[in-house]
Amino acid sequence: MNIVERPLVFSCHGDWSYGILSLPAAPAARGVLIVVGGPQYRVGSHRQFTLLARHLAAQGIPAMRFDYRGMGDSQGNVRDFEEISDDIRAAVDAFFAESPGLQEVVIWGLCDAASAAIFYAASDSRICGLVLLNPWVRTEEGIARAYLKHYYLKRAFDPDLWKKIMQGRFDGRAAWRSLRTMLETVRRPVKQNGGEIAPWGTGHGGAPALPERMHEGLRRFNGKVLLVLSGNDMTAQEFSDLAKTSRKWQKFLRGPNVQQHQLAGANHTFSQEAWRNQVAQWTTDWIRSW
Amino acid sequence: MTQPPVLAPARPFFLDAAPGTRFCLYHAADVHTGCRGAFIYVHPFAEEMNKSRRVAACQARALAAQGYAVLQIDLFGCGDSSGDFADARWEIWKTDLAAAHAWLRREIAAPICLWGVRLGALLALDFAHEFQGDIQSLLLWQPVLRGDAYLTQFLRIQTAAEMLAGQAPGESGTHKLREKLYAGESVEVAGYRIAPAIAKGIEAVDAAALVPRQPTHWFELTQEPQRPLSPATSRLASSWAQHGAKPIITRVQCPPFWLAQESDDCPELITATSARFGIPPA
Repeated sequence: MNIVERPLVFSCHGDWSYGILSLPAAPAARGVLIVVGGPQYRVGSHRQFTLLARHLAAQGIPAMRFDYRGMGDSQGNVRDFEEISDDIRAAVDAFFAESPGLQEVVIWGLCDAASAAIFYAASDSRICGLVLLNPWVRTEEGIARAYLKHYYLKRAFDPDLWKKIMQGRFDGRAAWRSLRTMLETVRRPVKQNGGEIAPWGTGHGGAPALPERMHEGLRRFNGKVLLVLSGNDMTAQEFSDLAKTSRKWQKFLRGPNVQQHQLAGANHTFSQEAWRNQVAQWTTDWIRSW
Repeated sequence: MTQPPVLAPARPFFLDAAPGTRFCLYHAADVHTGCRGAFIYVHPFAEEMNKSRRVAACQARALAAQGYAVLQIDLFGCGDSSGDFADARWEIWKTDLAAAHAWLRREIAAPICLWGVRLGALLALDFAHEFQGDIQSLLLWQPVLRGDAYLTQFLRIQTAAEMLAGQAPGESGTHKLREKLYAGESVEVAGYRIAPAIAKGIEAVDAAALVPRQPTHWFELTQEPQRPLSPATSRLASSWAQHGAKPIITRVQCPPFWLAQESDDCPELITATSARFGIPPA
C-alpha cells in the first residue's frame, strides 16, 4: 500500500483540533473528508474510519478524518452535530492546505455526521458530493413509529419472547410502560402554524424539525449524493419510513444525482468486516463513477 | 475565520516501531511549571479505547498544565497505528510500550510513569513487572485484574449482539467462540477480529502474579462511594500487600466512561487524579 499518513493540527475558534491525512502517492483531485458521528472519534467504531481512509488512499483517493471540537483528542466543549459547521470548514481548509492538487471534496458521514454534512454542504462550493450512511432524522414521533412497526410488532410474533415470558424471564411491566410511552408519542398530534397536523412535527422553539431542515439542506446542495442504509438498524428504518411518507423526500431520492444502496443484515455501524468492506467498495466505486 | 489558540498544541507524530509505525500524541509539560515527570498512556481494549479517548485527552491536558508530559501511544493494530487489529499481539504491545519509553527518555530527563486504563492497566502492570528500565510509578484507572475473565466478558458482547438481532446464540455463545479460538480460528466480536494468539496472550495475564515494585495509584469508579471494595479488588490488594506492595486505592463517583453511549467528561476522576499528582504543599 503506497500511501503516506500524516497527522494534522489545525485550529477552530481558538481550540486545537487533530486529524489524520491519508495521502496516496498520486492523489486524485477529488478527496474524501470523513466526519465522525455519535460518541466516537476519528478512528470510528471498530476502526471503520481508519480502515476506510486507508482503503481510499490505496485506491488513489486522498482522505482526511478528524475530531471536531469536544471530541476525541480535540480541545473544546462537547458539542452537538448541529453545531459543527465551523469545525467542518476548518477541516476542509486544512485538507486543501495539506493535500496537493486537491480540487473538490466529498463528505462522508454516518448517522448524525451525515446530518451534519447535509447542513454544511450547500455553504461550501468545494463540496461536490455526500456519502450518507444511516442518516439521523430522529424526531420523537419518528422513533416511536419505527419502534412500533419494526420492533414491537415483530417481537409479538417472536417465539423466543413468548418462551421468555413463560419462563418468567421477561420484565413485562417495563416493556408495557415503554410501549405505552411510544403509543402516546405517536398519537400526540403535532400542530404547526395554522393548526394543521404535520406528520413530522417541529423542532424546539418552533424551528423546523430535523427532517425538514435536512431536506432543505439537500435541496440547496447541487452535488451528488450516495445514500447507504443498513438492513438491520432503527435509524436507517426511520429514514426509510420518512422517505415513504413524504412526497418531497421521494422526489429527492429519485433525483438524477442520488444513488442508493441497502446492505441487508448490516447493523448501524457496519460492525462486520464484510459490511465494512462493502461500504468502502461502494464509496470508492461511486466516487470514481463521475 | 478562526483565531489561533493561545497555548501550543499537543504534538502528533508517527513513531517508528516494528512492524510499521505507531500514532503518538505528545503533550509537553507546561513551560511555566517545568517538567516534573511524564506519563505513558496505555489505552483500553477495542471499543473501550475509543470511548475513553476524550477523558484521556482531558486528563492529559490537565496533567500537562501541572507540569507532567504525557505521551499517548496507539498500540499496534489500534487507533491510528499500523496494522490490523487481527494481527495485534500482547507481546507486540509490550514492545510498543518499550518504544514509547525510549522515545520519552530521549525527549525528557524527568521520571516516567505508566498510566493504564482497564485492560491497558493490566498491560502496564505486565510491562512494568518485566521491564528493566526506570518506571517511577503506576497510575491505574479501573484496572482489569484477570485477562481470562475479561476475555469472557468481551466475547459476551457478540453473543448479546446476536441475541438482540433475534438470532439464537448457538454459534456465538461464549463457549463456542472460545472453542473456535482454541481450534486456531479467529473470531469477530463487534467488528473486532480476535486472533487465537492474542486471546491466549490476554488469558494468560493475572494481576495477582504482577506485584508492582513501584508506588501504585489505583482509581476505582463507583456509583456508590460508600460501598466496600469488590471482593476481587480487596483480595488482590491483600495478596499484593503480602508481597510488600501497597497500592493507594481511591474510589471516585463517576460513570463507566469506557462504556458510555454519549461522551462523558468525568471531571471527578480527572480532579482526583490531578490532585494525587499535584504540587505538594511547601
